[in-house]
Amino acid sequence: MLVFIIIAVIGVLAFGMYNGLIGKKNDVEKSFGSIDVMLKKRYDLIPNLVAAVKQYMQHEAGTLTEITELRAKAVSGNLSSDEKVSLDNKITKTLGGIMVAVENYPDLKASQNFIQLQGSLNEVEEQISAARRAFNASVTDYNNAVEMFPTNIFASMMNYKRKAVFAVANEQERQNVNIGDAFNN
Amino acid sequence: MRTLSELRSFYDKKLHPEIFVLEEKRKEVVVLVSAYSFVILLIGVIAFFFTLKIQNVHPKVPGYVAILTFVAISGAYYFLTRGYVSNFKDVVINPLVGFMDDSLIYQKSGFISESEFKSSQIFTHAINEYRGDDLIQGTIGKTKIKFSELCAKYVTHGKNRHEHTVFKGLFFIADFNKDFCKKTFVLPDRAEKMFGGFGTMLQKMNVSRPALVKLEDPEFEKLFAVYSDDPVESRYILSTSLIQRIVSFKKKSKREVYLSFIKSNVYIAIWYNRNLFEPRVFRTMLDFAPIQEYFEDLQLTIEIVDDLNLNTRIWSKQ
Repeated sequence: MLVFIIIAVIGVLAFGMYNGLIGKKNDVEKSFGSIDVMLKKRYDLIPNLVAAVKQYMQHEAGTLTEITELRAKAVSGNLSSDEKVSLDNKITKTLGGIMVAVENYPDLKASQNFIQLQGSLNEVEEQISAARRAFNASVTDYNNAVEMFPTNIFASMMNYKRKAVFAVANEQERQNVNIGDAFNN
Repeated sequence: MRTLSELRSFYDKKLHPEIFVLEEKRKEVVVLVSAYSFVILLIGVIAFFFTLKIQNVHPKVPGYVAILTFVAISGAYYFLTRGYVSNFKDVVINPLVGFMDDSLIYQKSGFISESEFKSSQIFTHAINEYRGDDLIQGTIGKTKIKFSELCAKYVTHGKNRHEHTVFKGLFFIADFNKDFCKKTFVLPDRAEKMFGGFGTMLQKMNVSRPALVKLEDPEFEKLFAVYSDDPVESRYILSTSLIQRIVSFKKKSKREVYLSFIKSNVYIAIWYNRNLFEPRVFRTMLDFAPIQEYFEDLQLTIEIVDDLNLNTRIWSKQ
């Protein structure tokens, strides 16, 4: 009887650990998906932004064409994860550049249409950052389970490997222009 | 925000002459309360010893007499000071609120409604008794705020009647600067403080709350536990800068602080064990110290708007 109880308890624990690992892996995938959703929201705002600023920003026509092309590339699909990340970094940088350039066009800066758009962009940027933080939290949770005893035994049996968290890629990106800051004054 | 030296000059110019008149009233009330209390106490003591002496009286009766005496004195105190307290709020608290910010309106008998208190979902226990006063509302910059003193209790009837306080203190509601549709709760972290990692496990099993969300800031995590319907939206609300601001506010207030974010509003409950914005009948009002205390209680709450940066409207919600 005692042996039966011990086996049953071990079975329940093993079952829990197995399901827990799968749950954590799915959480990582789900939170990765939510970053995509937020990025999509940003892509959707780019045409509006270009339309709102192009009549004012004649000198920045090149930058506006660049951001439109980057967006077209991003929404076309068929991109590897690395390409996606590098494309998003480029979009962030170019958007930041446009927002800084807006400083030279007081009429544009004061237009209600632009102010609203700027609010939406700030919102999306913050949502992207929130989605990345949520992704990092679920990856950390998953990595802990993959490396800690006793769940690591199951993880190696299920061939689960550590996953990488989002990090600032380089010093240049670390210094990227924050759209929010550009309009705080 | 107002400084202490501004308060000092406001007190000297505006409040002091009014309080001077009020002080005479206070002295009259003190004489009345003392006289009534003395008479009731005397009757109570005589009745107590009388019931002890006479035979065939239930042994509980002297106890009842003592309780009745206490209730009678409390009742007399309440009725005799009621007028003075109301007058004090008109003369001191009302102008003080106006001094803090022109846009703020004070209602001495108003309070945050029970439905608003419940919709914050900070305290989930059923309530039998709900009261409050000192409602203050207005707009600070771009942010609509309102707050009042509240006391919410529930009563159990076992062998004796027991009152359990669900919340006592200041309850603050403000229009948050971002739009959101899910619920997020930031509550004092007792379980993790007491039991460490096991506490976190207990928090994860808390069925009365949504899922536990672990944030990056270790100092914040030591003080608070976050529950939310949506891990991404909770991080959108609780940006890294807001997390630090909440930690600083908690340290500044030196009190238990509860927050909830529901339907684009932020609800903040700050626990106080004492009554707020009430006069001390047996102490002179000509002293600056109590005025400074009212000022600091008001300022702590009104400054939440700046402390949590609620006037920054750089997102689509204006």
